Amino acid sequence: MSVDDSEDGDGAVEAGENRSLYVESPIIMATVRVVAPFVFTFGLFIMFHGADSAGGGFQGGVIVSTVILMLAVAFGVESTRDWVTPERLVAIVGIGVSVVLLMGIVTVALGGGFLQYDVVPIYHFTKYGIELFELGIGVIVSGIVTGLFFGLAAGASGEGSADREADEREGLL
Amino acid sequence: MIDVVSLALLGLVIACALATAVLRDVLAAIIAFAAYSLGIAMIWVLLQAPDVGLTEAAVGAGVTTVLFLLTIAKTVRPPGDAIFESVDPKGLLVAVLIVGVLASTLGALPPVGSAETPVAQSQVTDYYLENAYEQTHVKNAVTAVLAAYRGFDTMGEAVVVFAAGVGLLVVLGREVFA
Repeated sequence: MSVDDSEDGDGAVEAGENRSLYVESPIIMATVRVVAPFVFTFGLFIMFHGADSAGGGFQGGVIVSTVILMLAVAFGVESTRDWVTPERLVAIVGIGVSVVLLMGIVTVALGGGFLQYDVVPIYHFTKYGIELFELGIGVIVSGIVTGLFFGLAAGASGEGSADREADEREGLL
Repeated sequence: MIDVVSLALLGLVIACALATAVLRDVLAAIIAFAAYSLGIAMIWVLLQAPDVGLTEAAVGAGVTTVLFLLTIAKTVRPPGDAIFESVDPKGLLVAVLIVGVLASTLGALPPVGSAETPVAQSQVTDYYLENAYEQTHVKNAVTAVLAAYRGFDTMGEAVVVFAAGVGLLVVLGREVFA
């Protein structure tokens, strides 16, 4: 949408410059405002309800991350990124990986096999354990997809990276 | 099993795939690719694989399209008004050869829904279908296999996604996605 607009009517001249992708459109903003909560709820539903119907952590995580992508298309990548805060995104992904690994470690510590849920002395834990496992996967996937989006949007010429890369190269040489 | 809906979907998918290959405008090719993914997702649902269909719709038609759009925004449009890319004979030959080799395996596939397939007759399949609910308390046998019986595999897949993110950060030389 916004990409299309900035893509049309340009010459080959503007290549390489950091053109702004963002076009402020009241229609897109209003649509995203209405649709986003439903998409978010649907993503969480797919994630949690994967145990009993089609879906699971991977699909639900992607759908949840779509909400961030929609917000970024509607309100601009930079402002959305500042709202999410990149540090928090990395922390969220780390938490997801820890949850998935801990599930395995806890079951081994309680004397079972890796991810053998029924050794945990909680009623119906196999089901809750599978849902927690799926939730962890969903957190990883949604965090990484959002991160890929922000990373691609910033590109190799993003803020502050040029100096850092130059420093690293000097360090290597 | 070949009915009107399946044929229409197959036609849509092949048309979209060809359009992706020959369209000169990259933006148009990306849109055609998204339509192709959506068609494939519907075919998965027709083949009774809703889990795979959901993944294809969310990843192939959704997120991949947005990531591609983000990427081509940093490129320029090729000059000229031609709608279609001129076809390279050598590339066409290679593509036809690959399709031919893959198509030669089609005869070995069992018919859709056949009870004679190795998967349908396998003892492992029977074991999962008979015991999945009692042992894991989840109604979706696919989830039971993915998250319980083969949980270690799935953990590996999740960590691969994590590794992809880490790889991006390493390539960009940054500590956060910004």
